[in-house]
Amino acid sequence: MASLQLKQLVKSFGATHVIHGVDLSVADGEFCVFVGPSGCGKSTLLRLICGLEEATGGDILIDGQRVNHLRAADRELAMVFQSYALYPHMTVWQNMAFGLQNIGTAKGEIDRRVNDAAVLLRLDSLLQRKPTQLSGGQRQRVAIGRAIVREPKIFLFDEPLSNLDAELRVSMRGEISALHRRLKTTSIYVTHDQVEAMTMADMFVVLRAGRIEQVGSPLDLYNRPANKFVAGFIGSPQMNFVPVAAGDGGALALQSCGSILVPGVRAAAGTPLVLGVRPEHLSLQGTPGALALPIVVSQVEQLGGLSLIYGQLPDHETRVTVHSAGQVRTTVGDTLTAYAPPHLCHVFAADESGNALT
Amino acid sequence: MNTAVAFLTRTKGARSLHWTDWLSYAYLAVGLFLMFGPVLWLVMSSFKTEAALSEFPPRLLPYGQKAVAVPGEEGLKPLYRIKLPDGTTRELPELRRIGLMATHVDPAKPDEPIRVNTADREPVREFRMATENYTELGGKFNFGRYLWNSVFITVVATILTLLFNSMAAFALSKYKFAGRSGVFLLIIGTLMVPPAIVLVPNFLVISELGLLNSLWGVIWPAVATPTGVFLLRQYMLTIPDELLDAARMDHASEWRIYWRIVLPLAMPALAVLAIFSIMWRWNDFLWPLIVLSRSEKFTLQLALNAFQGDLVTQWHYLLAMTVITLLPITLVFAFLQKYIAQGIASAGVK
Repeated sequence: MASLQLKQLVKSFGATHVIHGVDLSVADGEFCVFVGPSGCGKSTLLRLICGLEEATGGDILIDGQRVNHLRAADRELAMVFQSYALYPHMTVWQNMAFGLQNIGTAKGEIDRRVNDAAVLLRLDSLLQRKPTQLSGGQRQRVAIGRAIVREPKIFLFDEPLSNLDAELRVSMRGEISALHRRLKTTSIYVTHDQVEAMTMADMFVVLRAGRIEQVGSPLDLYNRPANKFVAGFIGSPQMNFVPVAAGDGGALALQSCGSILVPGVRAAAGTPLVLGVRPEHLSLQGTPGALALPIVVSQVEQLGGLSLIYGQLPDHETRVTVHSAGQVRTTVGDTLTAYAPPHLCHVFAADESGNALT
Repeated sequence: MNTAVAFLTRTKGARSLHWTDWLSYAYLAVGLFLMFGPVLWLVMSSFKTEAALSEFPPRLLPYGQKAVAVPGEEGLKPLYRIKLPDGTTRELPELRRIGLMATHVDPAKPDEPIRVNTADREPVREFRMATENYTELGGKFNFGRYLWNSVFITVVATILTLLFNSMAAFALSKYKFAGRSGVFLLIIGTLMVPPAIVLVPNFLVISELGLLNSLWGVIWPAVATPTGVFLLRQYMLTIPDELLDAARMDHASEWRIYWRIVLPLAMPALAVLAIFSIMWRWNDFLWPLIVLSRSEKFTLQLALNAFQGDLVTQWHYLLAMTVITLLPITLVFAFLQKYIAQGIASAGVK
């Protein structure tokens, strides 16, 4: 049980800068999820926190104590690795007890803790097996068990579910969440799967290229993305981005068709901007004030309960996805109009930063 | 058993033998003969008596000439089947032979020698395993001593080889330090130096250290082998770093990581190196010959060589000893071979 602070944390491998001054504060008992595309530095950040990599600059504080100089073992953290990293030549029991044996815990105490963890994770009948004799989900639970017996200050998870099949992933997700509710240990969880992140996180950290793009609760990030990257990264299918130009008094004009009045946008007339609207917010029925997007349908995916319609605007460049509840009769080649209500539209700067303007 | 028979009599397809079957079996038979013929001959010959060994033409099975005791004579006398002038044949021991004439005698009537032309007789043979070749070894030579020397050198040198090489391999495969590749290349580079070139320098070093005529003088130069370092390093590279990271998070010291994680996982490679090392040390001849000159320090290989005298060679003992020398290697190989193909390192990670 501990809080974690990162202050201006920097990491470079030679001339390659991987982490560029990260500031973050995780409160005691929080479940914090790092999300980002591959290579954004989220795993490196985790390894910096646990001490397997040495920070080039900045401070790491656990419970207010600077721990930069401490070895990985002495930071009292426990990590669940992506590949589980179970010792293949040891039994489940030995795998879980290894860390305790190394710090000279009494035999009785080791037995008690390992058995408690085994019961908690339903591994009690598998203690004498070797990792090779276990299924993927069981190995995952052993890896978590190995972390639990140490009674660490903070749990670190490095994409722990990425090696599991889809069904198992959903159930393990639930188990890890339940475990966290029960143990209330501060946890840091790295994933590139946004569904995992949305469902598990108390605190959601989006990383890109070694920088934090936005921190907040999952719904905050969904409803009020700070920039175009976060907006595009969260939500599936991805948000639609339509190039527009600022007009007078907050009106935004599309290149080829129509215009829309989005409240709160302040930009000089003629500035190029990007209008963002999520597929699930587009509807096929017109509403007052809504922007009408004429679409030529290029693909239709009927999923029974919902339908995804992919199409292009008349400029033949901008792709638009419409998420429509229920089933539709649209076929490829049809022309239809999707309506975007103004209060659900986001506006971003068209420059590199892509900052939100609404 | 049935599967073995089925395996050995396998054919290409149809019931009749295809010509490729003939070819394969012929090839296999030649191979079998080339591989096991000499070994079989050696083993069979080691059970022959001294007399049977010197017979020409040689025979594969240990047939020896029968011999019986004759009252009033020392030792056993060889038995011959003799055609007597009266047309009968009898089996009588030979007392002595001069030129073409041999003197035989009936053990029941030792006072009546019978002179026979050597053309009229032939030796009586019997199938007999001359196990005394083996049982007398211990008494004839200091066999136990040589065996102990060989075993000591082999076991100690192998243990030290595994220890030193695995530590070097661990450092070279799992730690990042300046000059790592340089050190590795240097070690590999020594493979290019022919052993004959370092023979004299090695001898001088051992001599200066006062290790001549000591078993340690044979052991120390052998424990660091570039082949071993290379073999183990390449294998250890396949052990995932995440395992080591996990162990570090588990409060394991570096020594403990080496001892509890890396060594057990490198078991297949260690087994291979152990087999090599045992074979190298056990069969080593030149270096022990240089270092060890006192006969009580001889290894089995040196002793084998020493038995081959300038004038007389006691082949029956030499062959028996050769067979004994082969046995440990065979046993070690049979025992360790299952580890060779076994890859346990990567299995538990994914």
